[in-house]
Amino acid sequence: MTAPGGELLVFAVLTPVLGILLSFARGGRAAEAITLALAPVGLVLAGFVAWLVAWSGAPLVYEIGGLAPPLGIALRADGASATMMVVTALIVPAAAFYAREKFATPQGGESRSALTFWIMLQAIWAALNLVFLGSDLFNLYVALELLTFAAVPLVCIDGRPETLAAALRYLLFALFGSISYLLGVALLYGGYGTLDIVLLGQKIEGTPLVWTAAALMTAGLLAKTALFPLHIWLPPAHANAPAAASAVLSGLVVKGSFFLALRLWFYVLPGLPIAAPAALLGALGGCAALFGSILALRQARLKLLVAYSTVAQIGYLFLMFPLAAAPAGGALGWSGGFMQVLAHAFAKAAMFLSAGVLAEALGHDRIAQFGGAARALPLTFLTLGLGGLSLMGLPPSGGFEAKWFLLRACAASGQWIWAVPILGGGLLAGGYVFRILAPALGDGEVKVKASPRRSQELVALGLVVIALALAFAPENFFEFIRIGRPLAGGGAS
Amino acid sequence: MTPSVLAGLVGAALVGLGLYGLISNPHPLRKLLAFNLVGSGVFLVFGIVARRGAAAGFAFDPVPQAMVITGIVVAFAASALAVALILRLAAASGKVTLDPRAWTKPGEGGQ
Amino acid sequence: MIQILLVATLAWPLAFLAACFVRPWRPRALAWQFLAPAPGLAAGLMGLSGPPVSVSALGFVLRLDAPGALLLAFAALLWIVVSATLWRDKDARFGVCWLLTMIGSLGVFVAGDLVSFYLLYALVSLPAYGLFAFSDDPEKQRAGAVYLAFALAGEAVLLAAFALLAAGAPQGVGIAEVMAALPASPWRGAVLVLVVAGFGMKMGLVPFNGWMPLNYRAAPIPVAAVLSGAGVKAGVIGLLRFLPFEAPLAEAGGALAILGFVTAFYGVVVGLTQRDAKNVLAYSSISQMGVISAALGLGLAAGQVSAAGDMAFYAANHLLVKAALFVALGALAVRRPVWALALAGALALSLAGLPLTGGALAKLASKAQFDAGWAKVLATLSSIGSAMLMTHFLTRLVSGEAEAASETPVPLARVWPALALGALFLPWAFAVDPGKALTLDALWDGFWPVAIGVALAPVWRRLSVPQIPTGDSIVFFERGFARLVRLGPAFERADVGLRQWPAAGVSLLVIVLALLAAGLGDFVR
Repeated sequence: MTAPGGELLVFAVLTPVLGILLSFARGGRAAEAITLALAPVGLVLAGFVAWLVAWSGAPLVYEIGGLAPPLGIALRADGASATMMVVTALIVPAAAFYAREKFATPQGGESRSALTFWIMLQAIWAALNLVFLGSDLFNLYVALELLTFAAVPLVCIDGRPETLAAALRYLLFALFGSISYLLGVALLYGGYGTLDIVLLGQKIEGTPLVWTAAALMTAGLLAKTALFPLHIWLPPAHANAPAAASAVLSGLVVKGSFFLALRLWFYVLPGLPIAAPAALLGALGGCAALFGSILALRQARLKLLVAYSTVAQIGYLFLMFPLAAAPAGGALGWSGGFMQVLAHAFAKAAMFLSAGVLAEALGHDRIAQFGGAARALPLTFLTLGLGGLSLMGLPPSGGFEAKWFLLRACAASGQWIWAVPILGGGLLAGGYVFRILAPALGDGEVKVKASPRRSQELVALGLVVIALALAFAPENFFEFIRIGRPLAGGGAS
Repeated sequence: MTPSVLAGLVGAALVGLGLYGLISNPHPLRKLLAFNLVGSGVFLVFGIVARRGAAAGFAFDPVPQAMVITGIVVAFAASALAVALILRLAAASGKVTLDPRAWTKPGEGGQ
Repeated sequence: MIQILLVATLAWPLAFLAACFVRPWRPRALAWQFLAPAPGLAAGLMGLSGPPVSVSALGFVLRLDAPGALLLAFAALLWIVVSATLWRDKDARFGVCWLLTMIGSLGVFVAGDLVSFYLLYALVSLPAYGLFAFSDDPEKQRAGAVYLAFALAGEAVLLAAFALLAAGAPQGVGIAEVMAALPASPWRGAVLVLVVAGFGMKMGLVPFNGWMPLNYRAAPIPVAAVLSGAGVKAGVIGLLRFLPFEAPLAEAGGALAILGFVTAFYGVVVGLTQRDAKNVLAYSSISQMGVISAALGLGLAAGQVSAAGDMAFYAANHLLVKAALFVALGALAVRRPVWALALAGALALSLAGLPLTGGALAKLASKAQFDAGWAKVLATLSSIGSAMLMTHFLTRLVSGEAEAASETPVPLARVWPALALGALFLPWAFAVDPGKALTLDALWDGFWPVAIGVALAPVWRRLSVPQIPTGDSIVFFERGFARLVRLGPAFERADVGLRQWPAAGVSLLVIVLALLAAGLGDFVR
């Protein structure tokens, strides 16, 4: 049944869509203005949805066309999705604000790359909201495809051959993943005649069919999330995209498919014994955290370093599976994993934006030539340093809070092994953050080609401040993100 | 052999052939065709699901057919986007390859 | 009142830090930052007596008890003296690092819950890098990298320890609460090992001692003074806070005592081979931290609750003495009047427990731990060793280095006599029962090990011992690290391999099959 205020969910998805249509219709300069004008609307909608969920303590549901599942399709906002909507509504406008400089429409004319950027940015926002709100697995497939189709053009927006190749790699591998997901969906529908997450969660049994479907869908989602060893596309795509796009791709887009993986394992399958597959996902995540960090240590360019750091941080996210599925300490694992999602979203977006400022100002992003750059760009290096603090998991930061929860979950559930990537990855992150900061803070002279835009630096700083402020999240925030999570199985609440 | 089983086997064969092509064929255009092959196989599976009518017990369940149609549209859009990228890539560089090493500039490390 | 001071201990230096980020206020904030530790000093002095006080705000808990108050007061005093004399036209980068280190250094003594402690401990460890390592000098860069590696490793180890502590105490993360739950915790052994390893890295316990000489040699004298004086005590307060003295733990205590004594003698022996006076002081610090650990280990084995207070006093004495010795290097580098040498001599031998100095009181404070048997013998031997090492230091001091003078601000060199006298005699004002140190027995007990040590020092000099490289075991750590770094290209090759299409495609299929197998495994059972 549609709850009061459920229409808000439709508005949240449709507001960016409306922006896209208007941008097409008006063209040119209008796209930029429309995106920036609709950003506060999106934020207010997301905030209002979150408030309604928190106020009622139950998920907010909208049944499209008044038809209830299994026949109809529902949109459903629970604590987790409302939180992700708010995060999106903060990061996308930040990236948009940052990008005004680079993607300003030339006076009196229309630039194709600018128009593409603004439209795709709004498309990403719409698709993400649909991913977070969708409650039908096929509907979510469509949302995920929309997300990919909007993200790919952002990678190659400057039209250089290497970015086109990176975008193509991204698209083809993502298609590989999505077809695998779709096959799983078909099998589940064949088995249960419904794809609604809530209904499936009540009916599901541990049959070979269900496990096959889960394996296919999960692998597909891992390919889109770029979990090691499926990170084939991520470093070139994230490192070559323009800074504002990289921030959204790294901070939000990979979280979309990760969010669906969470939906699948903790909302559809929670009644089943998922310890063994969850451990497998955790193992891949642990490998990613170590492997990605080691590669980040070896990159010569800042943007590639930050991209490989994303590979590593995605690994941390997957430690959530074994830890949150454990009978003891599951709630700690869930809170820690979610905190990691949020902390990484803000810190990484801020770092990519800073890397962009840096590349514009210095004309390159080769770390070896950063000597003394911190004196020329103090604010940018402050942002990079604070973002690094969160990546390393030092207090006070959301990254620390996440590790603190995850480690306690390791202890409570007796799964020692996951402490190794958590702590080891933190040490390695310390190494790569040191590699960026030490030369920059040292004595040396850099040539600054163009003085940095103060507004761009402040946007990045604002995002990183949110990443740090997450450390002060109150206890009832963690209750909020558990709203709507099924309690069955695994004692996971 | 019932039509369902036959369709299932054909679907499996299509998926298998497509997967092989997707993994082993280096050219992006061929990968794209292979993806469409896998897609056709998956849509066949949807068809069987519809025939079994698992949902409500009627002979033909219309929901999977709606899904197949949506899926075809999505696959079409994906193919169009990929072809556009391939054409742009060919126009910009004169070569179409996914090998990251083709784009590495000396002294940049990594990509 | 004391609650306000307790909050101001952190809030006041934080205000200075905030002012540094406003450009027009920056010069003044930096010039006046010697005022920043003042509330800490006052809070420390007020907290010396009376029951523990605690304040909680924003989810953080600050708690002041007697051992913490003593260390806080001494550390704040040192920070005030050095900050007041240090400030020339240092850049903002240095100033911010200095303030951050100061906040951490004062804060660890008053942190009342795990998260605050962890945060402040990170502050006293990591920003200190900026006080000595921003340089083109490869030796300083090396010292900085080694320092940071140990600091980060220590942080990681402590995070694991704290997570276990918190997991064992569901009722809250206050230090008092987790320590009350520790004796019954299933992870007690693991916690103790991690706590000792983590804080041992800060205190330079063997085998984690190598960074300390490198650090002090690379650091300018004022920086070395605060790091060796106040900074290292973060490790000491860590052990005081996180060892469960209420419950006697014979094995763990014994092991810590052995580790402590090994460190104590190791520091003396290696220190005696050093020529650089800063290195000698660094090894003396290592040795003294070994003595403290040994005493804490014995206290832990015997379940002596008083061990924490005793060792806080011992550490507070070392805090001022070691800082004053570092400053002496600069103050006496060019001119060395006889009275100054005598003062430096008393200061140096105070570490060995010379009667009438603060060191004699410190030694007396450790009597309850080193009460009898082998512990007493070893403690006396370590006093003799300290006396030898400090005599060796005095000979290095006399041969002087002009560089030390240029590193020391003139005002700091001027106040050195006051600092030295303070280090010698201030502990008398804070000792529980100073009269005991003036009995004939105590005077004699304090005197003869020092005399033997001083007498043995020239004998040692006759032996031609090879010089051990600065940082001794660090060479092996670095070699191991270099070997790890050489694995890097292999990882890169693996990455390139994995990111080829066929490999990634096959990986995807393997993941499908592995997930299926993992799921069906349960189904089959």
